[in-house]
Amino acid sequence: MARTGNKNIQAKLVLLGDMGTGKTSLVLRFVTGKFLEYQESTIGAAFFTQVLSLNEATIKFDIWDTAGQERYHSLAPMYYRGAAAAVVVYDITSMESFVRAKKWVQELQRQANPTLIMFLAGNKADLEEKRKVGFEEGEQYAKENGLVFLETSAKTAQNVNELFYEIAKKLAKASPSRPTGIKLHSRSQQNSRRMFCCS
Amino acid sequence: MFGTQSQRDLSLEFQSQIPILRPSIHTRRANLTVKFQDLYGFTVEGNVDDVNVLNEVREKVRQQGRVWWSLEANKGANWYLQPSISEGIALKSSLKFSALANAITLKRLIRKGIPPVLRPKVWFSLSGAAKKKSTVPESYYNDLIKATEGKVTPATRQIDHDLPRTFPGHPWLDTPEGHAALRRVLVGYSFRDSDVGYCQGLNYVAALLLLVMKTEEDAFWMLAVLLENVLVNDCYTNNLSGCHVEQRVFKDFLAKKCPRIAMHLEAMEFDVSLVATEWFLCLFSKSLPSETTLRVWDILFYEGAKVILHVALAIFKMKEEQLLITHHVGDVISILQRTTHHLFDPEELLTVAFDKIGSMTTNNISKQRKKQEPAVMKELDQRFRRLNSLKLDDK
Repeated sequence: MARTGNKNIQAKLVLLGDMGTGKTSLVLRFVTGKFLEYQESTIGAAFFTQVLSLNEATIKFDIWDTAGQERYHSLAPMYYRGAAAAVVVYDITSMESFVRAKKWVQELQRQANPTLIMFLAGNKADLEEKRKVGFEEGEQYAKENGLVFLETSAKTAQNVNELFYEIAKKLAKASPSRPTGIKLHSRSQQNSRRMFCCS
Repeated sequence: MFGTQSQRDLSLEFQSQIPILRPSIHTRRANLTVKFQDLYGFTVEGNVDDVNVLNEVREKVRQQGRVWWSLEANKGANWYLQPSISEGIALKSSLKFSALANAITLKRLIRKGIPPVLRPKVWFSLSGAAKKKSTVPESYYNDLIKATEGKVTPATRQIDHDLPRTFPGHPWLDTPEGHAALRRVLVGYSFRDSDVGYCQGLNYVAALLLLVMKTEEDAFWMLAVLLENVLVNDCYTNNLSGCHVEQRVFKDFLAKKCPRIAMHLEAMEFDVSLVATEWFLCLFSKSLPSETTLRVWDILFYEGAKVILHVALAIFKMKEEQLLITHHVGDVISILQRTTHHLFDPEELLTVAFDKIGSMTTNNISKQRKKQEPAVMKELDQRFRRLNSLKLDDK
């Protein structure tokens, strides 16, 4: 259902980060608008789709939400291969998860699609009293590495839609000159919400 | 049209098992999604057809129970637990005729399902868990739990993190008692095998074992025999190498058994391990309805790890026509997900898994595994080196 003068962009998006940082919760907040205090742990990866309409384009996200445990790391290339955007997630209450996030960023810089758009999300921003990673620390690291940085909370929905809108905007802007990782298509958009794995 | 209230009413109705619905309201209700509890306490969502299927399955389970009882009456109680039979089909040639006949009967019987009340006993014996337990002192499990109490390791931290995230909302698993039992089994195992430690996915497997087995200790031994004897090696260790191998083997068999699907998916650049990894690591417990999962496990514990390949192939095979007209990765995943979530009738899946997929000899599967191992090891090693070089650059 392409509107005239509106681009349809299909984009693969991948979420990476330590276990329990809230990757699935962020995606579910974006896709279903809901939040569960205890989200089933993801095994392998879960797949979601969501459509976002901007003035300039309609972006259909194929979202790969990956398992966080370190040993699942060996599966990651399968999920970030060909991705147009990546969100590296850490938990602001865990320095360990921030260290892990930096490793993901490095790996993506070396291994992934060179035009990959990368976001860094410091999640669980609602847990201010337990904070271990300062806002400035995240911001500084993002700046140095050319990432877009946001602190988010899947629980309160803070910055969650903003995160995906920002990604969409960047993709829309980049799309004419970026053939890799994005497929233009004009099939009708049905079932804009689909879930995989999480019952 | 129907508010939440009417949905709640319906789900109550279905819990009390109304077998036949009047056709006039049937059509109206067919499109309604209702929530109900299945045999093992899991809340499932489905439409009226699903509920009816589930009731039929319950009835079949009862019938199957009668078959087991009558055989027990004929052959004597626990006939299937005699070592000559339970040690299996592998020893076929050395069996006496009566034992061979019993082994064949048992294999057929197990493919048709073990009645839930007999599951703990039959699994424990046929899987080899009983034998494994018998080689260590009686107090092994209790000693292990005592010795590990209060110890904190990376594995225990991860286990604690996952306890409330393992089938949240389940009426027993998601209680302090359920969490504590699951914790003891997983922590105990993480100390028994430090190469495995704790791997996400095992939480779901252990949780389901706890629901089936009568005691926590038996669940622990089932987990042990599963990881140490039934499944391929290194499925859950360090870099999941065994799982990587199994995924490649699966890919090869898909190409052989379902060539049209394999070609179509390859053209779409769809890697089957995108969906199959979870199946293999959770042994379908996160994707199939509980009774269907346990029917797969019935056969898994008797016939071995090839069952997982059979079932995974069957899920693709069942949706062949639909899969062949997909153009997009998301559509493939959505078809497979819908299929697995609604497979309330185990028979539907198992018939395809064994009759349509045809036989795959253990010998052939082992050959495939041997073939894939070096390639997987090479790939993992290269990756490891690359990541290490990243770390060096970082310093």
